[in-house]
Amino acid sequence: MASDEILRIHLQELRRGTVVVASLVALRHPDYGYALLQRLAAHGFPVDANTLYPLLRRLEEQGLLTSEWNTEESRPRKFYRTSAEGESTLTLLIADLAAVQTSMTALIQGVER
Amino acid sequence: MTSLTDRYVAATLRTVPAARREEIAAELRGSIEDMIDGRAAGGEDTTAAEREVLTELGDPAQLAARYADRRLQLIGPTYYLAWWRLLKLLLSFVPALVGVVAGLVQATDGDNVGGAVGAGIGAAIQTAVQIAFWVTLVFAVLERTNTKLDLPAWTVDQLPQDRPERQITLADAAVSIGWLVIFTAYLPLQHFLSFVPARAGDGHLPILNPALWSFWLPFLMVVLIATVGLEIAKYRVGRWTLPLVVTSAVLDLAFAIPVIFLMQNDRLLSPELVARFDWLSQPDNLDTVATVTIVATIVIVLWHFAESIIKLRRTAA
Repeated sequence: MASDEILRIHLQELRRGTVVVASLVALRHPDYGYALLQRLAAHGFPVDANTLYPLLRRLEEQGLLTSEWNTEESRPRKFYRTSAEGESTLTLLIADLAAVQTSMTALIQGVER
Repeated sequence: MTSLTDRYVAATLRTVPAARREEIAAELRGSIEDMIDGRAAGGEDTTAAEREVLTELGDPAQLAARYADRRLQLIGPTYYLAWWRLLKLLLSFVPALVGVVAGLVQATDGDNVGGAVGAGIGAAIQTAVQIAFWVTLVFAVLERTNTKLDLPAWTVDQLPQDRPERQITLADAAVSIGWLVIFTAYLPLQHFLSFVPARAGDGHLPILNPALWSFWLPFLMVVLIATVGLEIAKYRVGRWTLPLVVTSAVLDLAFAIPVIFLMQNDRLLSPELVARFDWLSQPDNLDTVATVTIVATIVIVLWHFAESIIKLRRTAA
């Protein structure tokens, strides 16, 4: 078994790309930063706040998310929603994720232990 | 009194592009308050929760860099190899060149050997620092402006020809031995065939002091022949080793110290030769020639020694 540090780095690498996919899926229902953080964590995607907040802005700049300020509640919040462009990108990302899973399963079953 | 959150938001915004500052501020402040509320709802004290949330968010400069999509590195992987290769190329010869020139210029100016060597080393160090600074600065700017470098892509043809484990190639050894043999042969040859015609009558003037044949010139020839042996041994081993470095340094000193000592005492050049040229027979000019020769000898010995140490370390690494 590799050291904790090595394991941590590999897990981080493995998880990195999935945060974008998970966010695009979750934001089919509009939400603000902190609530999204909670929802992702509840679904098994623990993300650091200092990673997620800048990521949302980047995805918005790339046109994959749209945003809208909601001033009805106690404090103004910026709600993000997956855009049409984000949705089509998401479709491709999910297909690729499935392809990775399929290939991995085939590899695991094909390799004699 | 401003709250920790105010100070945190302000610190983050300092390095975020101005156009997006207000919106990021509003969103970040809201997110921080949400996070504090989330912890307070779990029964935590608000002040403690604020500290914890801000600690979790981490260094504001780092957060700002993530917002601005700015890389927190001086020179990233795109430019690193180009930077490193250019730096190595320039540092491999420019400081030495500048140092030798500066040292020699200083040497012609007077007969202060130590001062000239010092000036040469000082100039070399300054040049090295300047090169390192400016090359790094240019690449750091390229990194920040995302400039495309149209460098040719790597191809297999760029692989080194030599076997990588051989540090001393046959060509290197042949050239060194060739020069040593010519030099060794020149010592007796210059006595009869210097191409400096005597002022009266025919025949040639010896360049080196004939009185030195009683001991020093044979000694120098022995040292040169021993150096040929060292070159052969070095080629057979294929790389610098500690015994080779030590032997090389001893042989260099065995050659350089007599040359410097003889030159310093005006005993190296033949008196006939000195008398033959009006310019050279001026004591000041003779001193200048002596100083330049001595400085050049010291620089070559130091250079050679440094080179052998560097190559030794490279094999050890």
